[in-house]
Amino acid sequence: MATNNVTGWQALRRQPWLLALVGWLPPVLTLLLIAIFALGTPQSLPIGVVDLDHTAEARALQRHLDASPALDVRHPYASPSEGAVALQRGEVLALLIIPNDFGRDLRLSLSPEAVAFYNSQYLLAGKFIASAVTQSSMTFAAETGVALRLGQGYALPEAVAAAAPVRPQITALYNAGMSYALFLVTTITPALWQIMIVVATLLTLYWRLENAPLPDGYLARSHALWQLLMPISLLLWLQGLITLGLFHYFLGWTPEGSVGWLIVGMALMVLAIQSMAMLILAVVANKVRALSLCAAYLAPAFAFMGITFPRGDMNMLARLWGNLMPSTHYIELQVAVADHGAPLATLLPPLLTLLLFLIPLPFAIRALPKQLTVDPTEQVST
Amino acid sequence: MSDWRRFWQAWRAEITHIVADRAVLLVIVGGLLFYAVLYPLPYQKSVPGEQAIAVLDSDHSAMARQLIRMADAAPQIRVAARPGSMAEAEALLANDEVHGLLVIPEGFERNVYLGNPTSLSFAGDASYFLIYGNVVEGLLTAATTLSVQTQLMSSLLKGDNPMQIPGHIMPMRVITKPVFNPTSGYLNYIVPAVFVLILHQTLLIAAGSVTIKDRARRFLGQPATSLALAIPLRVASFMLIYLLFAMLYFGFFFRLYGIPHVATPGPLLLFSLLFFMAATLFAIWLGYLLPRPELTTVVVLLSSLPIVFTAGFAWPAESLPRWLDVITLLIPVKPGIQGFLAINQMGAPIISIWREIGVLLGLCALYGSWIGWLAHRQRRLAK
Repeated sequence: MATNNVTGWQALRRQPWLLALVGWLPPVLTLLLIAIFALGTPQSLPIGVVDLDHTAEARALQRHLDASPALDVRHPYASPSEGAVALQRGEVLALLIIPNDFGRDLRLSLSPEAVAFYNSQYLLAGKFIASAVTQSSMTFAAETGVALRLGQGYALPEAVAAAAPVRPQITALYNAGMSYALFLVTTITPALWQIMIVVATLLTLYWRLENAPLPDGYLARSHALWQLLMPISLLLWLQGLITLGLFHYFLGWTPEGSVGWLIVGMALMVLAIQSMAMLILAVVANKVRALSLCAAYLAPAFAFMGITFPRGDMNMLARLWGNLMPSTHYIELQVAVADHGAPLATLLPPLLTLLLFLIPLPFAIRALPKQLTVDPTEQVST
Repeated sequence: MSDWRRFWQAWRAEITHIVADRAVLLVIVGGLLFYAVLYPLPYQKSVPGEQAIAVLDSDHSAMARQLIRMADAAPQIRVAARPGSMAEAEALLANDEVHGLLVIPEGFERNVYLGNPTSLSFAGDASYFLIYGNVVEGLLTAATTLSVQTQLMSSLLKGDNPMQIPGHIMPMRVITKPVFNPTSGYLNYIVPAVFVLILHQTLLIAAGSVTIKDRARRFLGQPATSLALAIPLRVASFMLIYLLFAMLYFGFFFRLYGIPHVATPGPLLLFSLLFFMAATLFAIWLGYLLPRPELTTVVVLLSSLPIVFTAGFAWPAESLPRWLDVITLLIPVKPGIQGFLAINQMGAPIISIWREIGVLLGLCALYGSWIGWLAHRQRRLAK
């Protein structure tokens, strides 16, 4: 094939899979993630109740908990053992047990206790329920306390102050609504985008090396690779920018700092990943193995970013592995720009680290296999 | 007798297609061992440690100092900075030096003693939810302890009936207790589910590419066992191979990482067999749709993150849009993860997960018959 027939634009025309990866898949997968977290925060999580007391106070507590949007308390069980089975098979995510004499002890100011067992195997849901139950039961306790004191002859303002002398006011900085959609979609998407970049780059290189040999001279080689990858890189970068637009449109994501730094960061991220993909292909010179190695290298990127589990609490090895992935540095940049509105001095380290990934590029260009052969026993041609 | 010989020969051919393929071996052996070490790596500490917070104290009273000591003593947080102004505090947060802020207003101690309701402001960095949760929990513990102490003092000073003081301070409470993962550790939360996902995804790559290469050979007219025999044998081979890895994962690696696991071997074996059968059939079905072996890896790579968040453990299935919760059941890993967690981590008897078992049986029937139809059609096209 002549060299003008093996450019990136040709690769896009010939390969529907590649076209999907740089065309419609990125926005579709971003929209899928937005759909997964469409609720923003978990709502109406099912909680089983075993009411051994059957007093008005026990029912009032249940009504109060049910009023919390996070909880759905309408799952009664007759005995603790029945409730436990429902909890084990995941039918309910927590089990509230209201003991005998709960109402009587409440009226006598004996401070009764109910227990809510929550499923901490499903940790996110479990913790969410635990905190909703604690908050909701504290306001129930405070209201009951005011009522008890009024009954004992206190005046209303005095009763209110005595029930809660110190009131905590909690502010969630950078994500006021505590939206999981904002928290997770904006961080999972870059990890998924990273995978699309590495896969698209490899598929493009495979197509090129299967269709025509690379020239030998370093400059000619660089030129051929530039003609091949430039359109793909541009489209992938554009896809990154589109995801930012989708965040803004669907999630109300508005960066605190200048979005310009993210645009630069995304360009560097595309190049950094492409450099690593080329390095891996240069080293193993085999289609399936190069893809498997890229999978091993980048598939767990999300876990190593430190968004869900803090990087400060990871061990040395995990931090090191995380540092080897471009996504870790990009996310550091994104949190600093979009959430914290941090000054330039904080943005420079991740930006410069992304540049470091380009160091092996000259070596990779030189060491890329000249050609890859197609084995007819390994693919179904139609 | 010759029927038996043909059967053994066919089985040997299937096993050879798996073990003689270096790319497939790399995924099954290399991949499964590597991932078992790599995925749990970030969570070795399991429970996040003390997070740094800043305190802006405008009161400078004895009670304010007591509150700061209580906050520092809470296991979730440590007081790392005492900024002099709000601007200084905000800069500390923006640079990631602290993840929380406690503001003690002027006149705090005086108002508490006079019985005026007083508010304390906390702020946490909600860019990281786990950190935020810990900061808020730590600060709330400190504030509640202080509040209870003040109430106790004033009740005693007023000469209230000591029997009724607990009820005055806290008329009732709901104690929350974690079950199944008593330490609420991240390792116990992520690893059991992700291990099922790793088994499933590597199986898709391996059985998928074995199928594609088998189709390629048949397409070129090379001699091969009849599909009616080859496909059941392929399913059986992968079920046996993966059963060995399930023992390694659910036995050796769970023990190594200290993951609680309670299922007895019988039910675990039964459910594993069913899960691997559904997953292999799903993989072969994929192998009939895709033209090149590397594309199975592409599909697996792109689907992994969406699967993690639709399988019900990382994000509650109850909070998914209904249509998404239903269509993701078509991927065997979702009922698989939910079933394994229920029997092995949550101690449910195998009878109680009839729903997951039913879905997996349904998927076996669906993909099994679909493969039959695809194989029939492609053979006709090839002729």
